[in-house]
Amino acid sequence: MSFSERMLKIDRRIIFLVIGLCTLLPLLYPVGLPIKISSEVLGVYDHIESLPERSVFLLSIDFDPASKPELYPQAIALLRHAFKKNLRVITMTLWVSGTGMADQLVTQVAKEMGKEYGKDYAFLGWSPGGQAVIINMGQNLYSAFPSDYGGRPTKELPLLDGVRNLKDVGYMVSLGAGRPGVEEWYVFGKDKYKFELGGGCTGVMAPGLYPLLRSGQINGLIGGLRGAAEYESLIGQKGKAVAGMDAQSATHLAIIVLVIMCNVFYFSLRQQRG
Amino acid sequence: MTELPFESIVGAWVATGLTLLIFSFLYKDNPLFKLAEHLYVGVSVGYVIVKTYDTVIVHLVIKPIAENGEIALLIPVAIGMLMLARYVPKAAWMSRYAFAFIVGMGSGLAIPRTISSFILKQVEDTIRPLLSLAGSDGVTFSMNLLNPASDLNAIIILCGVGSVLFYFFFSIEHSGAGKVVARTGVLFLMVSFGAAFGYTVMARMSLLIGRLTDLIEFSDSSYGRPTVWLSLLIIGALIVLARRSREQPPDTH
Repeated sequence: MSFSERMLKIDRRIIFLVIGLCTLLPLLYPVGLPIKISSEVLGVYDHIESLPERSVFLLSIDFDPASKPELYPQAIALLRHAFKKNLRVITMTLWVSGTGMADQLVTQVAKEMGKEYGKDYAFLGWSPGGQAVIINMGQNLYSAFPSDYGGRPTKELPLLDGVRNLKDVGYMVSLGAGRPGVEEWYVFGKDKYKFELGGGCTGVMAPGLYPLLRSGQINGLIGGLRGAAEYESLIGQKGKAVAGMDAQSATHLAIIVLVIMCNVFYFSLRQQRG
Repeated sequence: MTELPFESIVGAWVATGLTLLIFSFLYKDNPLFKLAEHLYVGVSVGYVIVKTYDTVIVHLVIKPIAENGEIALLIPVAIGMLMLARYVPKAAWMSRYAFAFIVGMGSGLAIPRTISSFILKQVEDTIRPLLSLAGSDGVTFSMNLLNPASDLNAIIILCGVGSVLFYFFFSIEHSGAGKVVARTGVLFLMVSFGAAFGYTVMARMSLLIGRLTDLIEFSDSSYGRPTVWLSLLIIGALIVLARRSREQPPDTH
């Protein structure tokens, strides 16, 4: 068996080990590679920056713990930014499996920023129907969410004074890991009720959302852990996403090297066989 | 050093244990992985059922009817109940009304909005940058190669859309000039698949980074070092399982 043949039949566990080490070592010994801010992430940041104090910011946490490593840091960074800007933050989810996690996330960041429930922020929880919830919110927010996650009637929340439906929202960001997510918020929300919309998504979904970004259907996009790291850098509060960027770069480099090596061995084997 | 709450410590041990059990699949398929896999499915389904029951049945149906007398809610409840008629063979036909309602409403909501958002808007964006509404002359052709940030990208997108659409147009043989256009379409598709694959790799690596970050955090003494102890335990269990399977070859019958 030639060297190329042996390399092409290498035990896959060796590759797992290489990837594991490439991820683990930079996490233990960070290098601090520079993070360049992309225009799509800047789009979301700039819009929140431009909002006047006490504007209504709606954050839909449309993911569950399976996508936590990518979207949780995005949500933390966005909430910190919105609270720092003293916006009125309304949070909700369209994913039933993400309700507990979303509640924990919002409560944790609000506590850290010293915000008061009902006055500065609220978590409306989950309501069944997916796209129908968005349409319902566009007509009447209180019929889509008669009570918040804790069971308090939404009409009694001082935070929602002057907010009747989605048209009264200053800016809305959906952090989506699938459906319903960013696309549904555009199709059944922004397109119909005309509010400004930004998106955050997992890396897998990002290429599919770029057409919406280019056409101006969404004004910004935070893609995956990389996008979260950019946002953390923008608000000057580096967290788990920035910490993971060295590991991300190292694993990408390892995968590029593995792809090149596989191709070299494949073509040399083909040449040997004539 | 502040002491962590008991539930955080228990949570750390459970999360570490389950992560390591799932990672044990990287060595090979084993009963520990199966245990974690089944737990994941069971807990997820159980959580969704409980949450759905509490939010929908209790808060959106029972409470409004009992406390506020919102009798109109019985109409959607009745339509929903028709779904259950599928389990009674003689009354199964009644479930069709519920399905008809869902399909009709879903299509009615989705079709016009989807066409508007994903077809018309995207077509508009594909062709608009080459045209502009300027002054009283109406539509003018504004292509300017000196401004690559807008117009050059627009031309590339237009070429990409046109050539890919042509590639999937099978009524004309792809020969001569048509072959060149179709090949261009394939190139655009390759670039698109490459970008999608790159993002997928990034996403999967992010998940690994997330789990390893937690494992590093839970190796701290404030949690009782679950990463260290459970890693040793699981490695030991894998060695025992490997020895057992060597002693008892799998039943081929």
